[in-house]
Amino acid sequence: MRAAAKEPVHTDRQVVFENVSKFYGEVLGINRVSLSIPPGITGLVGPNGSGKTTLMNLMVGLLQPTRGTVRVLGIPTDHPEELFRHVGYSTQYEGYPPGFTGYQFVESYLRVHGLPRAESEALAWKAIERVGLTEAAGRKVAGYSKGMRQRIKLAQAIAHQPSVLILDEPLNGLDPMARAEVISLFRELADGGLHVIVSSHILHEVDLISDQVVLLNGGYVVAEGAIEGVRDEMEEEHPAQVLIRCQKPSLLASRVFENDHVVEARIHEDGKSLLVRTRDADRFYLMLNQVILDNDLGVETVMPTDADVNAVYQYLIGGNGEKS
Amino acid sequence: MSEIVTRSESVRTAARSDKGALRRRQLGAIIRLELRKSFFGGRGIGLYLLASLPLVIPLMMWIRLQFHEESPEDIAATTTAFAWLFQYFILHFLIFLGCVLVFGNVMRREVSDRTLHYYFLTPVRRELLVLAKYLTGLIATSTVFGLSTIITYLALYLIQPNGAAFLLRGPGLGHLGAYLLVALLGCLGYGAMFLAFGFFFRSPIIPALFLFGWEFLHSLLPPLLKQMTVIHYLLSLCPVPLSEGPLAILSDAPSPWVAIPGLLILAAALVAVSTLRVRRMEISYEED
Repeated sequence: MRAAAKEPVHTDRQVVFENVSKFYGEVLGINRVSLSIPPGITGLVGPNGSGKTTLMNLMVGLLQPTRGTVRVLGIPTDHPEELFRHVGYSTQYEGYPPGFTGYQFVESYLRVHGLPRAESEALAWKAIERVGLTEAAGRKVAGYSKGMRQRIKLAQAIAHQPSVLILDEPLNGLDPMARAEVISLFRELADGGLHVIVSSHILHEVDLISDQVVLLNGGYVVAEGAIEGVRDEMEEEHPAQVLIRCQKPSLLASRVFENDHVVEARIHEDGKSLLVRTRDADRFYLMLNQVILDNDLGVETVMPTDADVNAVYQYLIGGNGEKS
Repeated sequence: MSEIVTRSESVRTAARSDKGALRRRQLGAIIRLELRKSFFGGRGIGLYLLASLPLVIPLMMWIRLQFHEESPEDIAATTTAFAWLFQYFILHFLIFLGCVLVFGNVMRREVSDRTLHYYFLTPVRRELLVLAKYLTGLIATSTVFGLSTIITYLALYLIQPNGAAFLLRGPGLGHLGAYLLVALLGCLGYGAMFLAFGFFFRSPIIPALFLFGWEFLHSLLPPLLKQMTVIHYLLSLCPVPLSEGPLAILSDAPSPWVAIPGLLILAAALVAVSTLRVRRMEISYEED
C-alpha cells in the first residue's frame, strides 16, 4: 500500500529519487522508489533490513542504483566534487583512522576537502563544540564511548557546513541528555533551511523530530509525506481515533453521531471520556468546536490516539517497526 | 545559523575559484593523511623490517673483520657482492614483497578498517584519491628502500680500505645512483601492479605469488615472454650485469631509452585502470 503517493518534483532544492531500484545480486535492497525530499527534518522509518541504509547510501553515491537516478539538489551522485560541498553523511559504520584523536579525525578530513589549515582548524573546533565534545577532542577516538563516537561522527558530517545532512541512526547509543541536545541541533539546522535526513527504526523517536517521514518496508516506500498527511490518506480504511475527556460524554456521543463521517463513538469505562472514530478528522474537529460551544461540555482534553507514526506504521505493515 | 550559511558559502566560493590549486591541496592533504595513518605508526613496521634486512650483510662483514684477521674483500668482489645482493635479494624479494604489503593493501585495509567511506564522502574525485594513495605508497616504499640501498651500499664499501676512494673518485656514486633509479622504478612498476590487483582480487596474495614466480623465473623464459616481465627492464638498468645461470635463455637487454619509458608507461596504464575501477566502486563492508 502506498498511502501518500506523489510524483517526484524535479527541483534543485530537493533530494530526488526517480524510479530507483538497487539489488545486491539477487537480493533486493530497494525497489522502484520515486520520492522527493524537501528541506526540513525527514525521518526514514522502517525495521532493520527495510532499505533505510541502502536509500541513504544511494543518496551519496556509496552505492550505485541498479536502475533509476538519484539527484541531490540537482547534483548527480557520481559527481563527488560538487556533491560533497553540499552533503554531509554520518554513517552507521564504526570505523575510525587508527590512533586519531577526535579533533584530528574531524580536521584531517576537512583538509582533504581542500580547505587551508587555519580554516580547517576553525571549522573542526566549531563542529566539535556544537556536538559538545570540546573537552574530549584531544583523546583518541578508540577510547570514546558509543555516544561520544556518534557525536564525533556527527561533528565530522557537519564540519564543512553542508546543506544536506544525512544521518544513519544518529541517536543510537546517546544518553537522554545528549539525545535531547542532538535533536535540538537537528531542529536548529533544519530551521536554517537544511535538509536533515534521519533514519531510525525507533518510530516514536522519528515522530518527535520529523517534519515529514518516509516509511519503508521490505525495500519499498510504503508512505511518504508529513505524518498528518499520511494519516489523512488512510482515513477511509482506518478511521481516525480521537479521545475526548469531558463532563458530558453521552451528550457529546449523541451529537457527534449526527455526522455521517463518524463511524463509532464509544464511552470509556470511567464514564468521563469518549473515543470517536471518524473518516474525516478535519470536519470532525470543526464540528467538535461547535458542539462544545453550543453545549458547554466542560472539555478537558482532545487527543488523537492514532495519528503518530507508530500507528501509521502499524496500519501500513501490521508491525510496530521496532523489531528486526 | 546565518553565520553558518555565510561561512559555508565562503567555503564553496573558495572551492570554485581555482580547481587546479584545489586539487593540489587535496592531493597533498590525502598524502599527508595516508603517510600518518600507514607509515608513521605501528603499521609501517613490516615495511621498515623488510628494508632493514640488507643492513645485516655489511654488519656481519664488519663484525667478521673485527674478530678475524682476514683481509677484507677487494673492491671488485664487493661490487659483485652488492650486485647479487641488490638484484636477487633487494629487488627480487624485498621491493617486491614491500610493494605487495603497501600497494596491495591500499584499498583493502581501508575496507577492513571500515574507513574508506570517509574519503568517498569528501569532495574529491575518486581518481585523485587513487592517485594520491599510489603516490603515498611510492613515496614510502622508494624512500625506505632507497635509504636501505644507500646505507647498505655505503656501509659495504666504507669498511673496505679503498672503499672511500672508489666512492669519491671511482664509479661508486654513479653505481649507487643507478641502483637508486632501479629501486625507484621497481617501486613504481610493482606498486602500480599491486594497486591494480587490489581492485580485481579480494586478496593480493594469490596474484602476488603467481607474479613472483613469473618474475623469478624470467631468465628461463623465451625472449618474447621476458619482455612481459618487469624485472627484465629493471635488471637492464643495473650497473653491474650478472650471470643468470647455466639454464638461462639469453636475450638482448633493452636500452635505458626503452626500459625507463616502458616502465613509466606500464605504471601509468595500471594506475589508469585502477582509477577506472574506483569510479564504480561501492561500499559494502558487511560482505568483507
